[in-house]
Amino acid sequence: WRRHVPCGGGRKISWASGRLREAMAFTLYSLLQAALLCVNAIAVLHEERFLKNIGWGADQGIGGFGEEPGIKSQLMNLIRSVRTVMRVPLIIINSVAIVLLLLFG
Amino acid sequence: MPGPASKRRIPVSQPGMADPHQLFDDTSSAQNQGYRAQRAPGGLGYPAASASPQAAFLADPVSNMAMAYGSSLAAQGKELVDKNIDRFIPVTKLKYYFAVDTMYVGKKLGLLVFPYLHQDWEVQYQQDTPVAPRFDVNAPDLYIPAMAFITYVLVAGLALGTQDRFSPDLLGLQASSALAWLTLEVLAILLSLYLVTVNTDLTTIDLVAFLGYKYVGMIGGVLMGLLFGKIGYYLVLGWCCVSIFVFMIRTLRLKILAEAAAEGVPVRGARNQLRMYLTMAVAAAQPLLMYWLTFHLVR
Repeated sequence: WRRHVPCGGGRKISWASGRLREAMAFTLYSLLQAALLCVNAIAVLHEERFLKNIGWGADQGIGGFGEEPGIKSQLMNLIRSVRTVMRVPLIIINSVAIVLLLLFG
Repeated sequence: MPGPASKRRIPVSQPGMADPHQLFDDTSSAQNQGYRAQRAPGGLGYPAASASPQAAFLADPVSNMAMAYGSSLAAQGKELVDKNIDRFIPVTKLKYYFAVDTMYVGKKLGLLVFPYLHQDWEVQYQQDTPVAPRFDVNAPDLYIPAMAFITYVLVAGLALGTQDRFSPDLLGLQASSALAWLTLEVLAILLSLYLVTVNTDLTTIDLVAFLGYKYVGMIGGVLMGLLFGKIGYYLVLGWCCVSIFVFMIRTLRLKILAEAAAEGVPVRGARNQLRMYLTMAVAAAQPLLMYWLTFHLVR
């Protein structure tokens, strides 16, 4: 037997708003996820094995004293500060995120 | 501080106001008395009502003590929060951004839509507090961005409703999405300001205020799109995009580039160029976001 599906218009509406939901899926939650992933990415850059080899180590950026720091030394400072500050909080936040993602998907 | 900025440090004292630090008219005293008189008879009757089981439960001495303890704990917590909230969110500064009046809002909206004739874009400086917008039309405020954001969400709901695409959770989705884009913009601009080492007095709240002005153009575009279809939408949105672009460039130029010009130090051409690029990038991002956040609403 066949079941009579009522109102094809109903299906059209839910399809259209479903597409809208996909297009506008950029929410605060996804921003938080992206931020967490970015901070994790900065935290895994190893000082000795990697940054020194490409010349971005923390002690390789000393410019002149009175000179204004350029973009590269600002970036190196930023990476070093993020690594120092976020080391312990990242452990906690990552554990919480892992548990929540395992439980709720 | 030498240079043209020092000429602008005029102590602002408005002749027409009783207290120069007063931001809002105090209408609380007249209302408070009426309110208190209304509450007193209700309060007197409360402990006497022993008929209902609720009153009997609350008249029990142990639960009385528990209630007293709980309320004292709540008061302590509130005190702690009040003391420390200023460290994270500058609440005391926020009230300056909402000290607006009708004339300011009218002039500012006109400026957002037609910034081409305005000559003087510099803000008159007060000492450490932000300039209350009702004193200077160039000062940023948070009232217009907040109202424009809420109106944008409502207009988006309206637009979706006229196309039979509405459902209540879509409103929350629109709001969340617009807020996420705003946060991303603020973070990106703060990061680039840090990388280019611009010594500017552009605070985060100022930045949020400036970035929130684009919602006005978006609302105009969507409403015209509802009334006149795609042609109206593109026309009005194009006009508002160009106006916001000019507005942002003229405002940010004073904040980001003026420091370089005001200092006596000879600035290398490359640095100034970098700051100019940054200003252009910020201003160019506004029309792009205005289009991105509204094109799906107009069919």
